[in-house]
Amino acid sequence: MRRRPGIAGLQSAAATRDKFRLVGENVAKVRTDVMQEQLATFRSQLEEFARKHKCGGITFLSACATRDENKFLMAKHISITSANAMYTIVLVQSDIRKNSVFRQQFHEMCAKVGVDPLASNKGVWAELLGIGDFYYELGVQIVDICIATRSHNGGLIDLLELRKLLCQKRKTDLGSLSSDDCLRAISKLKVLGSGFEVISVGKKKLVRSVPTELNKDHNGILELAQAKGYVTVEQIEKDFSWSTGRAIDALETLLKEGLAMIDDGHRDGKRRYWFPCVTLSSDASGSEAKS
Amino acid sequence: MQRTVDFKLPHFFNYPPYFTLQPVRETREKQVQLWKELILDYCRSQKMYIISLEEDFPLFSNPKIERSLSYEAKEVFLAALVSEGRAEWIDKSHKKCLILWLRIQDWANYILDFVKENGLEVTTIEDIRSGIETHGTELAGIDRGVLMRALRLLEQKGKAVIFKGSSADDEGVKFSV
Repeated sequence: MRRRPGIAGLQSAAATRDKFRLVGENVAKVRTDVMQEQLATFRSQLEEFARKHKCGGITFLSACATRDENKFLMAKHISITSANAMYTIVLVQSDIRKNSVFRQQFHEMCAKVGVDPLASNKGVWAELLGIGDFYYELGVQIVDICIATRSHNGGLIDLLELRKLLCQKRKTDLGSLSSDDCLRAISKLKVLGSGFEVISVGKKKLVRSVPTELNKDHNGILELAQAKGYVTVEQIEKDFSWSTGRAIDALETLLKEGLAMIDDGHRDGKRRYWFPCVTLSSDASGSEAKS
Repeated sequence: MQRTVDFKLPHFFNYPPYFTLQPVRETREKQVQLWKELILDYCRSQKMYIISLEEDFPLFSNPKIERSLSYEAKEVFLAALVSEGRAEWIDKSHKKCLILWLRIQDWANYILDFVKENGLEVTTIEDIRSGIETHGTELAGIDRGVLMRALRLLEQKGKAVIFKGSSADDEGVKFSV
C-alpha cells in the first residue's frame, strides 16, 4: 500500500488497519463457531451412538485407537463398516487393558467431548469397552493392598509403593500401570465413602485409606521424613523452630495412628521416628541408618 | 555362626525400628507377628531347635543396619511363640527356648508318613535321626528330645511301641501302621 502524505493519509491508514482487524476477528470467530458446532454435532452423534450402538461413535473409537486427534475431530466424516468397527472395538478393548498411555489419552478425549466413561458401568463405554471393568478391578485391588499393608503403614501408603504392589499382584511391569490409572480408580472409590483419598506431602503422593485427620504439623513431619525415612525430635525443633512439646505432641499422635515407629537402636542414643509410608519396602535397606 | 545363603531375610529385617519394641499396641502386634514368623521359618530352614537368649543368634542382630534386639525384645518374641505352643522354655529362668517349627502332633504325623513311605515298621531312634532314608527330610538331625516326645505321643495313641536296647544308642521303636 502506497503511503499518502498528511493527516488524512495517517487517518486512512489507521482506518484500514481497524478494518483488517475486524475482518480478522470475524474470521476467527466464524472458525471457532464452526469448530464448536462440529463438536456439538459430534457429541450428539456420540450420544446417538450410545443409544443405538451403531456406527456414529465407532469412528470415535477408531480415532482413539489411532490416537489421532485430527482424525478424532473429523470422525463424523469417516464411514466404517461394521466388521471394521468390531475389529476396532477389540483393539480398543485390549489397549484399555494393556496400555496406560492410551488410557490417559482416552480420558482426555472423552473429557473434551464431555463424556465421562466411568460415570456408570451400564453406559455404552463401560459395556462395550470394558473401561469401567478395568478401573473397578483396579479399585478392588487397591482396597485389598491398602488393607493388607495397613498394619505396617498405618493406612498411609506411597503411591509409587502402591503401584509396585499392584503390578506384583497383576503380574505386569510398572510401566503398564500409571499413576493416572491409580488416581482415577481411587477417585471412583470415594463414592464408597470409606475415606480413600490422595494427599500430597512434599514430592510424594500418599494414598490414605483410614480417616486420619492430619494437620499441618503432621504433614510437615512426614515431608521432613522423606529425606531419610526418619526424623528426630532434635531435627524437627531445628528445622521448624518448634518447641520440644509441640514436636513430641505431633510425633505422639503419628505413633498412635500407627504411622510412625520408634527406633532406639542407633548408637548416638537419640530416638528416631520412622515412617513406613514414606519408605519403600524395596529400598528399606537402612543404608541411611549408618550415617 | 554363619547364616546360610539360601535363607532370604524379609524386608523388615533391614528396617531399623523393627529392632526396638514398639509402644503402640497395634504396631507392636504386627511387629511380634513378623518376628514370630521369621524365627520359625529361620529355625526350620537351618534345622535349629534351641535358641539361647544369652548367646549370639544370627537373627537377633543385623550388622548391616547396626541394630540388635534387646534382651527384653527377644524374650517378648519368644514368649509370644511359647504362648502359641510353637516354643517352650527349657529352663525356669527363661534363658533357653525350644522352637517347635513343627508342633509335637505335626512331628508325630510326619514320622508316621515317613515310616509308611519307607516301610520302616521296626527301626532305631538313631536311624530315624540320621539313617539313609532320613536324608533330605525334616527328620534329618531332629532334636532327640522332640523326637522322643513325638514317639511317646504315638505310643499313647497305640501307634508305636518304644523298646529299650542295651544302651541309649540302640533304643528301638515298632510302629503299627
